[in-house]
Amino acid sequence: MTRIALQSAWARKRRLLGAFFAVFIGVSFLSGALVLGQTLERNFDGLFADANAGTDAVVRSATKITTDGSFQRGPISAATVDRMRGVDGVAAVAPYVEGYGQLLGKDGKAIGGNGPPRLAASWIDDPDLNAYRLVEGRAPRAAGEVVVNRGAAEAGDLALGDSTTLQTPAATRVRIVGIATFASADGFGQSTYTALSLATAQQLVLGGDGRISSIRVKAAPGVSQEQLVARIDHALPAGTHAISGAQLTEENTQDISDEFLGMLRAFLLVFAAIALLVGAFSIYNTLSILAAQRTRESALMRALGASRRQVLQSALIESLLIGIVASVAGLAGGVGIATLLKALFSAFGGALPDGGIVFSASSAMIAIAVGVLITAVAGIAPARRASRVAPIAALRDSAVEYEGVSIMRALAGMGVAAAGVAGVLLGALAGAGTLVTALGSVLTLVGMLACGPLVAGPIAGLLGAPLPRVSGIAGRLARDNATRNPRRTAATAAALMVGVAVVSLFTVFAGSLKSSIQDSNGRAFGGDLAITTPGFGGGALDPRLAERAGALPEIGDAVGLGQGAARIAGASEQLTIADPAALARVADLDVAAGSLSGLGDRELAVSSSFAENNGWRTGSRVPLTFSDETRDAFTVAVIYDNAELTGDVLMSRSAWAPHAGQDLDTVVFLTVAAGVGVPAAEAAVQRAARVDGSPDVQTRQEFIVASAGGIDALLGIIYVLLLLAIVIALMGIANTLSLSIHERTRELGLLRAVGASRRQLRAMIRGESLIIAVFGTTGGLVLGLFLGWGLVRATADDPALNVFSAPVGQLAVVLLAGAVAGMLASLRSARRAARPDVLNAIASQ
Amino acid sequence: MNNALTDSSIEHPTISAIAASARDAVKVYDSAAGAVRALDGVSVDFARGRFTAIMGPSGSGKSTLMHCVAGLDRLTSGEVSVGGQDLSLLSDRELTLLRREAIGFVFQAFNLLPTLSARENITLPMALAGERPDGTWLEEVVATLGLGDRLTHRPSELSGGQQQRVAVGRALVARPQLIFADEPTGNLDSRASGEILAFLGRAVRELQQTIVMVTHDPVAAAYADDVLFLADGRVVGELSDPTADDVLDRLKALGDEEVSS
Repeated sequence: MTRIALQSAWARKRRLLGAFFAVFIGVSFLSGALVLGQTLERNFDGLFADANAGTDAVVRSATKITTDGSFQRGPISAATVDRMRGVDGVAAVAPYVEGYGQLLGKDGKAIGGNGPPRLAASWIDDPDLNAYRLVEGRAPRAAGEVVVNRGAAEAGDLALGDSTTLQTPAATRVRIVGIATFASADGFGQSTYTALSLATAQQLVLGGDGRISSIRVKAAPGVSQEQLVARIDHALPAGTHAISGAQLTEENTQDISDEFLGMLRAFLLVFAAIALLVGAFSIYNTLSILAAQRTRESALMRALGASRRQVLQSALIESLLIGIVASVAGLAGGVGIATLLKALFSAFGGALPDGGIVFSASSAMIAIAVGVLITAVAGIAPARRASRVAPIAALRDSAVEYEGVSIMRALAGMGVAAAGVAGVLLGALAGAGTLVTALGSVLTLVGMLACGPLVAGPIAGLLGAPLPRVSGIAGRLARDNATRNPRRTAATAAALMVGVAVVSLFTVFAGSLKSSIQDSNGRAFGGDLAITTPGFGGGALDPRLAERAGALPEIGDAVGLGQGAARIAGASEQLTIADPAALARVADLDVAAGSLSGLGDRELAVSSSFAENNGWRTGSRVPLTFSDETRDAFTVAVIYDNAELTGDVLMSRSAWAPHAGQDLDTVVFLTVAAGVGVPAAEAAVQRAARVDGSPDVQTRQEFIVASAGGIDALLGIIYVLLLLAIVIALMGIANTLSLSIHERTRELGLLRAVGASRRQLRAMIRGESLIIAVFGTTGGLVLGLFLGWGLVRATADDPALNVFSAPVGQLAVVLLAGAVAGMLASLRSARRAARPDVLNAIASQ
Repeated sequence: MNNALTDSSIEHPTISAIAASARDAVKVYDSAAGAVRALDGVSVDFARGRFTAIMGPSGSGKSTLMHCVAGLDRLTSGEVSVGGQDLSLLSDRELTLLRREAIGFVFQAFNLLPTLSARENITLPMALAGERPDGTWLEEVVATLGLGDRLTHRPSELSGGQQQRVAVGRALVARPQLIFADEPTGNLDSRASGEILAFLGRAVRELQQTIVMVTHDPVAAAYADDVLFLADGRVVGELSDPTADDVLDRLKALGDEEVSS
């Protein structure tokens, strides 16, 4: 029986291609995500191990404050260095300083673009303790001399001997005396690295010579890293701790894995899941059609004495076979995808570490297991249907039509869909919580898929109604064919529906998020102009820029907003730092209690949701710990409702100053002086900001639009990947069509015999494909819109997402794309249907 | 798109006594076992207004001959013409038009589109041409075939005989020069077969139709005016105004035991 199954699968290999590709693509992405993650982790691990090779221990502040995935450690006393020198087993000690430092390129523009850290640091002369290696020039000695990493030098078109500006964030003129690499790489990722002499670094980054960031320690021969750490520990002052070089490497790898790799992997895995889900429909559909086409063959086997189990087994073996072959191929595809993505990152300046692709047995096993399992599950229902064929069907003239949809299934589907819709509505309108919404969403999707065959007939008929008027009898036949087998039409459209639903859900969600951010920013920001650093932050402005801009005659008020971090009531929180009185003049935070302009040095302003979560009112005393280990109690003096501009906690600049390593602004808000036009003021500010590396100067409208710009960028990436899911769905349509065409060859032959032209046949197939595609796309749009609406409404309490917005233009594009793609999906089938040999089909009955 | 086909450049042939003919027709199929000469130099004329049956054992080339004359398949060499028109000179588009306007078909099975009603099936060639059917003629055909109360039914709701009558209706309604019937009674019981054959006979006598029918059934062949016998791709005999016994005798005389089933 197994042999028969294998032979029959081989004989139908062309028809199994569609199912094969569906599994193949899903497994490719799954294994690609796993392989890429592992590869990068291993590569980074190797890079860090290399960079930290000579460092046996690191001494640093024990206080770590983590906010939004990034963290900071406070400085430690420079005196600790001398104490370390005296410890037995220490061969060498190097103090190290690291902080923010933006290097400007030859063109005066900031190097590094969005995101990656821009570091200013002290150069360590001992090559064993320095992660960077000099490849050109010499180490910095005097003030104003720097070593930069090769990647940054290339990006900024800077060469040895060139002079440029370093902003920490105050501008300093520097001359490049050396070029370095991070271990063997041109840099650490895309980050820029500017190394100064220790004294200069302390002055520029930590604001004085008494403090350093950390100490790197080399062990004497015969002393292990563990022994070294144990000995150092005894000599450490309070508030500091020591870790071994191996731990440092592990920590570095862990950090990069958590931040960058974690996101990348999650992204690819989510996509793989969608691809596999969409693929599962294609597999199910292909196998169903094959089972139906094989009705006579199955019945003949039954008539010849095969048991029902044998027929079932034979069908299951076939789907398992597809699963195994496609999963193994998908594994190879995954390695290809990982290699390609890695090359793409490098091509776009991602500067990933060198090293080959890491391919572990566990990734292979997971990917193959998932691929085979999904194929097997998708194949169960068609296999069971094949096994239920009565032997007598062998003798009947095979009318390969499915029986109708069972009443039970119809009722169950409608029940589930109704429960799901009710859940979403409850979540959206009655505030039943996001859990109810999520459950409702899943039920709605399941119910809709179950009800598909019920409504496919009427809806496809409705969608196809205009076709007969457009293309006559061909259109009429297209509509008939799309409605004659509702179950098949529904299953074919389902794959597309899921893909489109996810796309439109994301579109609605992102659109709403964008509108919400713009809405609250628009309400909060009362100024006329803003100075911003490009990208998602990480950039910084000199706080004196706000002062300088404020002093311009064209400008009324100017306020700089900086960022800080502290542990508040035990939890790490991000702080916004500003001059409260100036902020109150420029922005409206919907103050609910207290007065912003009167915020004192031992007082905090907090958002109403943050106050509510902690049970605070004005007057509440709150304990704070800063990264320099100081503790202090602050009083909640102001509570505000609109947290979009300033986040949850606002502190005055004068209160923050003693704890600030580097005083940085991330944005400056400005109002235009009375009688001055906005363009004139904008030009004046641009001139004043030129020495700061020309940060962006935006009008109010530009700022509001740009404040949500990150979402567009993110959405762009999501769209590209989801497009692939839709391509998988369209391959499913193409596959179903070609199987249907195969099944109806004789019908096509008859049509040709009685005078249908090739064009008419092509129009007929195209029409059928169009109906299915529009059916799937419309269903997906409706579902995505509804679920997106439910989700946005369910979180209406969150000020970050309280405006529902459906981007009509983008959704229309999705619909149009679905229809066009449906036409494309029919190309091959249409060409085949119009081939002259269909005439032979009727000749050789 | 239908218009592109209706105003074609096909000449309307002059009326002659010959509806269709084949000259030295050769058809070679390539198969795994080597080339097969399905037609091996067949020359034949099908007279206008006559009911001709083509008979022969399995593999004699009778179906191939019909398909080639009807423009469903192309010859390897030789020529076939319908109404004086050499089919080998026609493009696929022109052949389509010829089938639509000049030829009617009745097949053994898969004769009707399952999604169309009986009436729609009958008028399908007109719909494909973008023309309206001649109402009185349609009613006359429908009445002759006794399908009046079945016109709104789908093929799956009709008996085999009724389906075949619809197919005959479709062949007649466009008033083609020539109707080809390929084993039209192969799937029917003897009563339904008799009905269909009687209809075909009436179409020839009363409506001056020309019909060419392929069959292996001597009883069916007896309804024809002329019978053409084929064996191994060659014409091996002819018979006019036959009876079933004549046909059977002739088949036996051909010495071929393998009369197809």
